[in-house]
Amino acid sequence: MNPTIRSDYLDFLRRYWPNVQSEAQNWLNQLRINAFDHVNAQRLPTRRDEDWRFTDISPLTQLTYSPAKPEYNLQASDLTHWQLKEAKNRLVFVDGHYAEHLSVIDNSLQLVIGNLPDFASTHREMLEAQLGCHATSDCNVFTALNTAFLHDGAVIIVPKNTVVEEPVHILFIATQSEVTGYPRCLVLGEAGSQITLIEDHVALTQSAYVTNSVTEIDLADNASVKHIRIQRDNALAFHMASCAVSLARASNYQSISISLGAQISRYNLGIRLMGEAAECAVSGLALIGDRQLADTHTCIDHSKPNGISHQQHRCIVDDSAHAVFNGKIIVRPYAQRTNSAQSSRNLLLSKTAQIDTKPQLEIFANDVKCAHGATVGQLDPDEIFYLKSRGLPDLVARDLLTYAFGAEIIQRIPVASLKQRLEQAILCRTQRQS
Amino acid sequence: MSAVLQSLVNQPYKHGFVTDIDSDVAPKGLNEEIIRLISSKKNEPEWLLAFRLKAYQHWLTMTEPSWQNVHYPKIDFQNISYYSAPKPKKKLASMDEVDPELLRTFEKLGVPIHERAALAGVAVDVIFDSVSVTTTYKQKLAEVGIIFCSISEAVHNHPDLVQKYLGTVVPVGDNYFAALNSAVFTDGSFCYIPKGVKCPMDLSTYFRINTEGSGQFERTLIIAEEGASVSYLEGCTAPRFDTNQLHAAVVELIAMDDADIKYSTVQNWYAGDEKGVGGIYNFVTKRGLAKGRNSRISWTQVETGSAITWKYPSCILRGDNSVGEFYSVAVTNHFQQADTGTKMIHLGKNTRSTIVSKGISAGRSNSSYRGLVRVAPTADGARNYSQCDSMLIGDQCGAHTFPYIQVNNNSAVIEHEASTSKIGEDQLFYFAQRGIDAEEAVSIIINGFCKDVFQQLPMEFAVEATKLLSFKLEGSVG
Repeated sequence: MNPTIRSDYLDFLRRYWPNVQSEAQNWLNQLRINAFDHVNAQRLPTRRDEDWRFTDISPLTQLTYSPAKPEYNLQASDLTHWQLKEAKNRLVFVDGHYAEHLSVIDNSLQLVIGNLPDFASTHREMLEAQLGCHATSDCNVFTALNTAFLHDGAVIIVPKNTVVEEPVHILFIATQSEVTGYPRCLVLGEAGSQITLIEDHVALTQSAYVTNSVTEIDLADNASVKHIRIQRDNALAFHMASCAVSLARASNYQSISISLGAQISRYNLGIRLMGEAAECAVSGLALIGDRQLADTHTCIDHSKPNGISHQQHRCIVDDSAHAVFNGKIIVRPYAQRTNSAQSSRNLLLSKTAQIDTKPQLEIFANDVKCAHGATVGQLDPDEIFYLKSRGLPDLVARDLLTYAFGAEIIQRIPVASLKQRLEQAILCRTQRQS
Repeated sequence: MSAVLQSLVNQPYKHGFVTDIDSDVAPKGLNEEIIRLISSKKNEPEWLLAFRLKAYQHWLTMTEPSWQNVHYPKIDFQNISYYSAPKPKKKLASMDEVDPELLRTFEKLGVPIHERAALAGVAVDVIFDSVSVTTTYKQKLAEVGIIFCSISEAVHNHPDLVQKYLGTVVPVGDNYFAALNSAVFTDGSFCYIPKGVKCPMDLSTYFRINTEGSGQFERTLIIAEEGASVSYLEGCTAPRFDTNQLHAAVVELIAMDDADIKYSTVQNWYAGDEKGVGGIYNFVTKRGLAKGRNSRISWTQVETGSAITWKYPSCILRGDNSVGEFYSVAVTNHFQQADTGTKMIHLGKNTRSTIVSKGISAGRSNSSYRGLVRVAPTADGARNYSQCDSMLIGDQCGAHTFPYIQVNNNSAVIEHEASTSKIGEDQLFYFAQRGIDAEEAVSIIINGFCKDVFQQLPMEFAVEATKLLSFKLEGSVG
């Protein structure tokens, strides 16, 4: 299908792998070595692979971007634009490397929070049991690459029954051009804990770079996490990301992911409901234009009874952009009384915009309630007429309705300052020149 | 409750018997020689042999697809006999001359052909194994200019029509099984409705698979000229065998301006026993081309049989304002597998399509809906509505939906809905309150669930389908 895919792309990346074979007794090195073996065993996906049917990554494979080296010439003042006043804890990673001087850690909260290497020995048992166990390296070559090149990473452990009111802001900044960054997060919510995370990918450079990010979240019984993920890379960037979430009994995961940037972006979200009565709510918004491609693949896997999942994904596609959504819901045998609802709504704003959506159900239990729906369309002419009859010009009416379509997802963000900024960003994007 | 009802399920396949007729069977295996043999046995013109050989060459370069959600042991294509025909006897002048053994078979099926033809006014083109034995009502149809005959007859009597249209909707290299069919097809139906003619009766064929080990490769071609309309029925039963049988048919429909083709199927082939042994593999390529303006193609199917059903009756909506419809009920029980759905390819302006798919899974069976709605950049104002509902009976079966929606035009409006449910205890309780026992209640609920599809069937098929369904699922609810 894609003769242009460079078979030597992986070879190129492999050359930069820091050989840690000699220090294999270190558990982190062992993890890297295993992941590297997986990289060697796999090939790059092409459009022949069902999971990549609509996403052509050949432009990415043309690039020879080495891993980013640490550079710390950013000042705290450079970050004001992204600072959130609600967040008392802020972890900042520059091109995937931890920037201690930019990060803010509030020790009054009972959180274990910081950079991965700092906890490698103190929390070894806990981390060894979790890191790389949710986002496994065997089925996704990008995840395997991220783990093979693992260096820094955000670690957040919320102790038992601890409720953290203030959100934690994890800011990933891309500053160098023509490099590959490997951001990594690990979040462990112990029994009964609660936390809100903001995973924020932003750019300070105007030229191309690659982000390959992996986030792992493990929730123990009754734990709860609100995970807000914002991807606002620059227009030339490539963003390959995966997030793997495991839910124990009666735990609750809420995800809001917003995709605005990148030339080609791919987000794999895998949620496994492994305990009874676990619940997840997944919202997504992709707002793209020009020749952008935004691909979201989600998989919600119910394996225990009484699980609940709600999903709402929206795409607004303008110009010659291309949005892809694939939402799979699996209900395994014995996951009785599962209640699952999924909806994929898509708005096409131009004649050359393209949508490929595939809401997919795989059900092996009989006592379940599962529904999904998908719509593709334009703005409702009746709604436009209503606004016009109130004196709004046609273009303003259209922009307002487009904004409203996207804002419904933004409204769910529980952090006021972030919500406000994103609303502003959406407003700017949807107000076209008249 | 379930124990009582359980005894009612698993009823043996009523149509399982082998008719003892001398068959003229070609040696097993597939190669150019066999294709030449089929072609020469059927006394075919050169162009058709070339068509077959081209398809065979394509087939050799292809690999068996593996993306589908069905599982079966690998088929040994060299272990199949590609031609079997009842020994030729003298030409038949009337029904009385038909092999009485053959007629008895149809009686056992409960479809006495002359009676059915006379009472229902249906012309039945009977396919027994691979050669068409008799065609009724041909004359009546000929009066209005309709050609309705077996495809091998059409090859001889109307070669220009066959040559013009054969393989235009499903090209020889379309997919693995279509290529195989194009290489070795033995017989099938041909129907041509001339300009402006409304077919005065429903046309129907009856397919059966007889000789053990012989795959059946049917080829159907229906052409409706400008302003013509036709309703075509296809019903299937097959005797029980323990070795799996492959059925790879190809159906092509072509509708010109203002033409209307309605194609209905009731499929009840042998599904294997309750342990999943035996049964037919039904790998069919069905596709309709709505070529002209305002043309309409409608598929209705009730799939209850076959160990594996794998087919996607599709519509290519090329003409402006053309309409595609797909109504399906797929019932699976025991170890049956079904991966079925449709493709609606919108190319023309203001094209509309409707998809209603109902899947019912019981026992350890799996059923999948796999559909594609594609709106090309040229298809301004395209409209699609899809609904696929699944019902699960028992906790060991599975239901899956794989709807692909690909939209390249911003004036399109696409809606897709799917739901999964089961027959609720409270529903049964409600019926019980009103003195209706569980078994009947289930039958009523299932028929209600499938109502949207059954309404699309011609009368006699609707009655048959309703019976078939309650018979198939009796006792699976407990």
